[in-house]
Amino acid sequence: MARIWSTMDEFEAFLDDGGIVEPDDDMPDAYRQTVFAFIEMHANSELMGGLTERDWIPRTPGLRHKMSVLAKTQDEIGHGHLLYMVAADLGLKTRREMLEDLFAGKSKFHNVFHYRAKTWGDQVAISFLVDAAALVSQQAVFKNCSYGPYRRILKRIIAEEGFHMRMGEERMLLIAEGTEFQRRMFQQSLDDWWWPALQLFGPDSKPDDLLLRWHIKSERNEVLRARWVQKFAPMLMSYGFIVPDPGLTHDPETDTWTAGPIDWEPLKRTLAQGGPDSARRIGEAAANWEDTRWVREALDSAPEHAVGAPA
Amino acid sequence: MTTALASTLEARVRDAVATVDDPEYPGVSIVDLGLFEALLVTGDGTVEVRLVPTFSGCPALGMIADEVRTAVATVDGVQRVEVRWLGAPVWTVDRISEAGREALAREFTVAVRIGRKPVACPRCGAETWEDSLFGPSRCRAVHLCPSCTEVVEVMRSGA
Repeated sequence: MARIWSTMDEFEAFLDDGGIVEPDDDMPDAYRQTVFAFIEMHANSELMGGLTERDWIPRTPGLRHKMSVLAKTQDEIGHGHLLYMVAADLGLKTRREMLEDLFAGKSKFHNVFHYRAKTWGDQVAISFLVDAAALVSQQAVFKNCSYGPYRRILKRIIAEEGFHMRMGEERMLLIAEGTEFQRRMFQQSLDDWWWPALQLFGPDSKPDDLLLRWHIKSERNEVLRARWVQKFAPMLMSYGFIVPDPGLTHDPETDTWTAGPIDWEPLKRTLAQGGPDSARRIGEAAANWEDTRWVREALDSAPEHAVGAPA
Repeated sequence: MTTALASTLEARVRDAVATVDDPEYPGVSIVDLGLFEALLVTGDGTVEVRLVPTFSGCPALGMIADEVRTAVATVDGVQRVEVRWLGAPVWTVDRISEAGREALAREFTVAVRIGRKPVACPRCGAETWEDSLFGPSRCRAVHLCPSCTEVVEVMRSGA
């Protein structure tokens, strides 16, 4: 029961009415492109985020944290897997092409995964601030997303990211109640990660943003960013940490926290040329991809039905 | 007399345990997922809740135990709560109730695989293909529906 829209106006009216597009619908090419690019970037970010997490499996302090880092790594890689399948179904690139582009350094993924987590404090800051930022923006997509398969996958991803955030909060509380050394380490991590995490939302949405117009996203970047600041700035301060934003202001009337001026140069630079850890991370992933070539070749030579769906 | 009191207390504790949802499936109770095994209620108001983990390495166990303790502690007549994770019996997908299966399919497009039986797509009912035995967690595989192209996660028992 594929649906066809004869004009873009008709398609947009369908979306404005809360219509949900399914894969067999005859959607306009521009919509297909836009939704594909968005999901591909999300998939790449899950995969690269999982690899960031993986770095910490052998170094995690304590078995309990190790268990949660292991599980979180599997979660993120699994999310990437689901999202690559949804993206591939749009017919613009195969799953393999998306991975090859990523490992060749041709694709985008979230700015935060271009940086290196140097200490356990960094890892806690990531699981606390970055996971929360990802969750805030995914919730805004999920709420009214016009692309059905993505919306359904997001519902599951969000439930799991919510769980990660609780693990992050738990880790943060442990550190906040820890030794002076631990608190200093975490403050350093906040200094390093506050801004990259805040910039994960991107610059203010442009008025002609197609993602908003086609109800792929339902809220503007600046609104999401403000929501995140409002939650985390006071929370960190209540544990005695310093939010590294000298321009942060508080309006006591409305109890609103507002970030100071944002320097977007680091974000632009990171997205254009990569960050301090991009080359290493992509290089390792590319080397793994090469090392596992024989597995793909073996699967390719097997009869299609023996290995399930074609890639 | 003591026995009768204890048994109504037991019913109330059971109800309290059933209010705890799986952290990764809000709205689906751990009882429906088959995590609940037994209760030990003693006359002095001490309750031991015995649970079975889906997988022993599951990182949600601590959180689930905390939530069970909190929920059961509010029950009238309970003085002390202990949560024990059992090593046996082993959790299998057969332990998921009918209501649990329905909620997973309806709310999360997640199917349940019993043994090696084919898995039906929760959206269209067609038989799905296994894309990978490994999904975002140890208790889930990833399938693809060849008919409606839905990506389906499938709860499975451990190997």
